[in-house]
Amino acid sequence: MRRLLGKLAGLAIGVFAAVMPAEARDLTVVAGGGALQDHMRRTLFSTFAGGPVVDTAYDYNVGPIRAMVQARNVTWDVVLVEAPDLIRGCEDGIFERIDYSVVDRGKFMPGGATTCGAGAIGWGVAVFYDEARHANGPATFQEFWDTQRFPGRRTLRRGARITLEAALMGDGVAPADVYRVLATPAGQARAFAALDRLRPNLVFWTGGQQPIELVNSGEVAYALGFVGRTANGIRAGARYNLRWSTLLYAYDSWAVVRGSANAAAAMRLIQHITEAGPVTELTKLWPINPATASVANDPDVRARNPLMMTNHQAGGLEINTEFWLEYGPDLEQRFASWVNR
Amino acid sequence: MRRTNWLAALLIAPLMLLILGSFLLPVGFALFTAVADREVAATLPRTRAALAAWDGVGLPPEPAFAAMAQELGQALEDRRIGDMAQRLNFERTGMRGLLLRTARAAGRLEAPYAASMVALDARWGEGDTWLLVQRAGGPVTPLYLLRAMDLQRAPGGGVQAVAAEEALYRQLFWRTLGISLAVTALCVLLAYPVAYTIAKLSAPWSAVALMLVLIPFWSSVLVRSTAWFVLLQREGPVNQAMMALGLIDAPVQVVGTRIAVVVALVHVLLPFAVLPMHSVMKRLDGIYLRAAASLGANGVQRFLRVYLPMSMPGVLAGAAMVFLLAVGMYTAPALVGGDRDQMVAWFIAYFMNREVNWGMAAALSAYLLAMTGAAIGLARVLTGGVATIGGRA
Amino acid sequence: MREGPVARRLLRLVTALVLAFLLAPMVAVILLSFSPTELLALPPRGFSLRWYGELLDSARWMLAMKNSFVVAGATTVVATLLGTAAAVGLQLGRFRGKAVLVTILTLPMVTPYIVTAAAMFFAYSLVGLTGSLPGLVLAHTVVAVPFVVVSVLATLQTFDATLLRAAASLGASPATALIRIVVPNIWPGIAAGAIFAFATSLDEFVITLFMAGPGQFTLPRQMYASVREFLSPTILAAATMLFLCSLLFLLVSEALRVRAERRGRA
Repeated sequence: MRRLLGKLAGLAIGVFAAVMPAEARDLTVVAGGGALQDHMRRTLFSTFAGGPVVDTAYDYNVGPIRAMVQARNVTWDVVLVEAPDLIRGCEDGIFERIDYSVVDRGKFMPGGATTCGAGAIGWGVAVFYDEARHANGPATFQEFWDTQRFPGRRTLRRGARITLEAALMGDGVAPADVYRVLATPAGQARAFAALDRLRPNLVFWTGGQQPIELVNSGEVAYALGFVGRTANGIRAGARYNLRWSTLLYAYDSWAVVRGSANAAAAMRLIQHITEAGPVTELTKLWPINPATASVANDPDVRARNPLMMTNHQAGGLEINTEFWLEYGPDLEQRFASWVNR
Repeated sequence: MRRTNWLAALLIAPLMLLILGSFLLPVGFALFTAVADREVAATLPRTRAALAAWDGVGLPPEPAFAAMAQELGQALEDRRIGDMAQRLNFERTGMRGLLLRTARAAGRLEAPYAASMVALDARWGEGDTWLLVQRAGGPVTPLYLLRAMDLQRAPGGGVQAVAAEEALYRQLFWRTLGISLAVTALCVLLAYPVAYTIAKLSAPWSAVALMLVLIPFWSSVLVRSTAWFVLLQREGPVNQAMMALGLIDAPVQVVGTRIAVVVALVHVLLPFAVLPMHSVMKRLDGIYLRAAASLGANGVQRFLRVYLPMSMPGVLAGAAMVFLLAVGMYTAPALVGGDRDQMVAWFIAYFMNREVNWGMAAALSAYLLAMTGAAIGLARVLTGGVATIGGRA
Repeated sequence: MREGPVARRLLRLVTALVLAFLLAPMVAVILLSFSPTELLALPPRGFSLRWYGELLDSARWMLAMKNSFVVAGATTVVATLLGTAAAVGLQLGRFRGKAVLVTILTLPMVTPYIVTAAAMFFAYSLVGLTGSLPGLVLAHTVVAVPFVVVSVLATLQTFDATLLRAAASLGASPATALIRIVVPNIWPGIAAGAIFAFATSLDEFVITLFMAGPGQFTLPRQMYASVREFLSPTILAAATMLFLCSLLFLLVSEALRVRAERRGRA
């Protein structure tokens, strides 16, 4: 019996040893995946002189990062995160403080260097449609909401963030007033009432590629989709009319996961991947919107990428992170309730 | 004999410990998470103590204000304020802003703290704000279990429904129940003739037909859900075939509809209905039926009076199994369902991964567990305790 | 019972249609996976192994495959050892409350996977097991082991306990008797349980979605992520390969069942 138990224990230990991760871990950086990450690998990660970097993708869900920190089993070092997740994660100690003695604080656009995040790239959504199908389409959210002048189905993001801002502007609220109005019960009711009006003509998207697919197949006439993907479609020959006047935008940041064994190297990596040189190389492959000021303001870069969001940001509305941290849970629930009704 | 029992215990113990430690304890812990209220106690211990003696009338005494100011400042400094802020903000929108604003201003606040905090934000001068903090002191709260039923604590005590435009979960549970019952009914209706026919087929054919049921049974739920996702695409084979047959003129949107969810679920779960029915029917003895025939019963009567009741244990076991798996299903609805077709499981995943609100995820899990428990109990009662409900085996 | 010829034909027709409904999606996926183009059209216009090539060339898919097989292999070893031991113990023991024990051991089968996943995610992250392959193996073992217990218990019903008494009277220790006599007699049940454990782990998706570390992809998880990203026939090639694995498991388990039945009758 004892021999049997000994054998069993030996087997079990052997099995666990076999599946245990190797001890030394390469510096691991995590972003949103897709073609953009392929380009990042080529221009940003592989040019880092401070050691090998491996990269993997995630879907911007922060639950697993929290679990990782809590479990003290941190397998990621540098993560590309959205602004609300960055701020909440910073307050909770999910991310390390950025070491600004290693990362140069001065190179970022205003607001790009925060306690736990170093500005990475901007993203935005704007209305677009296929000119081959519709010679004339909505140029503002009010027109997007005008189904008399512009008949046909539309698509918006499924979720409160972005959609409620669009709804208020569709109802005639000036961009500058959107968050003030949306903070009031009357304003929230107004946004949902606007969605109610559009509902018969509305489909929702969940994945970033869907607006493109919906417009391409003719399933919807007008879409509010990511400008990066739309711009790439245009560069690839699609005849999209991208309405920059409807831009809503935000910046993602690089953050370091708390408890990372490679924290020091992670800071050096962040310093490297936000430098003008590598970031400029990246802009040659993909029309990103860098948070590195010298690249964003580089006339060459801007001239080379007419469809870069940076060129059109002036008229857009920046998504208010603090607003969504405070009102997000409530409005998301209300939105889910509305969608399900 | 004693020795044998010792050996038996020794053999069972390792697995028992494994199940206990890595299944029963976690599930118990999750159920506790549904009612646990830890955040305020962990982040604001002195404030909580100062509020303990407060009778809830008017405003709390000055030490509560002082402790709040100091502990908020400290929590922000130590970067552990977010969980607590989210917890209070979940119960009342706006609390996060108030707490962070106060925490950032903590260095500028001074005694008497009551006056300087009210000057900073008038909400500190409202008894309701403090009642909220006091009630969140833990160790337990009904908050999540109530919210998961679209209820909340009323200001004066008692329970009230949340505003109609925020109601979501009761409808979600009804939908989950509705889809699961519809899928169960369809599975039973489709499985019964199949199980019956297979049980009656002669030797090689019955084995072949049974194999055809076992093939989908053994293949992965995800693979089969993916198959439906592909087949039902707008430009997918089902639409193409229907257009070629002239049934429709333009492609129909199927993915993202309730129909797609039900079709995929029926497909995924049908074998679970066929197999228990078949194993019961295979054993049904012809003698009773022949006896019934000799007593003059005709075919329909024989079926309704004798065969159907005798095959009921198999039907119930199959139905219970299908229902059990359907209510907790995540994969198929997530892949082929639309906005209004997601079931409870989808929201559990949403609260865990996206909102990181473990209390809500745990509360929804608790109700889901209760639903499956009720289904098992019902099946046991209906079959007189003989229904054995197993997974794929 | 005899039904009329019309009724019988009708029943057979319904059965054939239902069976076709059960199998058609898999057949379609297999056909589409050999499509030479990205177009998902039936019947396929030509035949090509292009997507299988892409699958084998893709580092992501290969890593997922490796993870899947490592986890499934480890799960099978642990679940088979513990499950067989427990089943033998349950059969040997003469004490009250056995039914309760069996119920507890098989609870993971009837608990919704999403609840199990959520519970494990909470609890395992407290002890540092989330995001690690050992944690994933543990989680998979919990949901796979009931199948081993059930399968071995079923085979043990046909095992003649007098053999054990005979061994004991000849001076064999219980452990020796167990290894020399019980195990060789019930191995089809053990093997069937092991196969089921392997298949369960290989197919498991929901628990993996939460328990596996971000970036630790298994085949189902990679498949789910790919479907939502961009629907390429590569996914169908992966689905076909997973399906062929299931088919293999089914055939082996059926062969084992037939063998066990013969042995039981003999």
